[in-house]
Amino acid sequence: MQIGKKYIVVAVLGVVVIAGIAATAPQQGEFKNLKVLPKNISSKTLSKIMVDDFVDGLGVSCGFCHVEQKDSHRLDYASDEKPGKQIARMMMQMTIGINKKYFKLSHYQMGDSVLAISCVTCHNGQPRPGEEDAQ
Amino acid sequence: MAKDSLISHDENDDGIDRAGFLKCMAWAGTGLFCLMSGGVLKTYGMSQLIDKDSGMLKKGLITPKGEFSFVQISDSHIGFNKPANPDVLSTLQAAIAKINAMPTAPSFILHTGDLSHLAQADEFDTLDQALKSVKTEKIFYVPGEHDVLNDNGKQYLQRFGKETKGDGWYSFDSNGVHFIGLVNVINTAEGGLGVLGNEQLEWLEKDVKDLTSSTPIVVFAHIPLWEVYPQWGWGTRDSAQALSYLKRFGSVSVLNGHIHQTLQKVEGNITFHTASSTAFPQPQPGMAAAPGPMKVLAEKLRSLLGLTSVNYVEHNHTLAITDSVLNDVNEKTTDHQ
Repeated sequence: MQIGKKYIVVAVLGVVVIAGIAATAPQQGEFKNLKVLPKNISSKTLSKIMVDDFVDGLGVSCGFCHVEQKDSHRLDYASDEKPGKQIARMMMQMTIGINKKYFKLSHYQMGDSVLAISCVTCHNGQPRPGEEDAQ
Repeated sequence: MAKDSLISHDENDDGIDRAGFLKCMAWAGTGLFCLMSGGVLKTYGMSQLIDKDSGMLKKGLITPKGEFSFVQISDSHIGFNKPANPDVLSTLQAAIAKINAMPTAPSFILHTGDLSHLAQADEFDTLDQALKSVKTEKIFYVPGEHDVLNDNGKQYLQRFGKETKGDGWYSFDSNGVHFIGLVNVINTAEGGLGVLGNEQLEWLEKDVKDLTSSTPIVVFAHIPLWEVYPQWGWGTRDSAQALSYLKRFGSVSVLNGHIHQTLQKVEGNITFHTASSTAFPQPQPGMAAAPGPMKVLAEKLRSLLGLTSVNYVEHNHTLAITDSVLNDVNEKTTDHQ
């Protein structure tokens, strides 16, 4: 009987430990193929980055980086087919890097309001900064 | 109707001259009031109807009695909180109060998209709750590009697009007028232009096929179906094909949002009209480096937001949209910053 109680205690402790690990481990989010943005990013944060940094910051719409699905006109957000998406990733890494190196903002991600520079700092609503001056 | 300071050559005695019309179409109020009576669709910017000090209908205002009327509101952007308007719910509520203060309750409301700013459930909830206080029979929606972020419009469809087709397009009839709600924001073409897509175009062709040519048509969609300013994506790539199906009709009115300002254009049998936002203004076409939320002086903000009222007046089996200047308008409507 005493041995049985020990087994129950050990089993309960095991369940608690496993549940704790599961709760603290990074969760796989609902969005696929994220490589720079956090994989468990919330829908709200992701949408905010897309609107503030890309739509408003570059003056573009979703189709600038995202390709259409093969069988419909809807967008395939996970696809890397358009080169612009990879460029956007590099630009986000550069932005985070500049904030880290020159402004000592080491623990911040895209979309954080404390970032010293963001996409709009240079793009100012233009897909390619400087083009408006050349026109 | 006494003429106001904007009217100098009222040849047709309809309260409109070219200069006044151009001033009004440049910048109107916080929504559009539409009234239909005897064959003519009349639209009024709410800033023309509402006293800016009291927030109520202007004293002595006489609105024409139409056969039926409806209101268009647009671009509520619930969830937006930047300096251009940190309290978009408050301005939406102000627009609702203005609708509820109208002498005749509109038959229904058309919301032409961008209900939310980030397509979040709580933003849709807030809008839904706010619009429950509108005194009207029904509210019809089409999505804006902000309502379909990251999920191709799945959540929007579940909440606001029940009983619609495809990405949320549909049609209905009211008082002899055929209304068509189109969706041009699920994908966008190069440069940000809206796209209707083949499936929707095929549906549209079939939808109007059996209508008589004398049927008044009202089309509403988020992104303008005419080339307002393609450099900023203010147009729809395949709108010409959609409009070709409507050429045989005597009267076609196209109502859009997206550009957060009131503009109007007449092309043959088709009258295009864009509504103001209830949230924040955007620059006039080409007057800034790029489109986007435009910060203005706080006391000016509400004069650049609005709603659109539509008044249908039947006349020779045709419909037309006109921006009317009311007799007690004294404020200049082009003073945006």
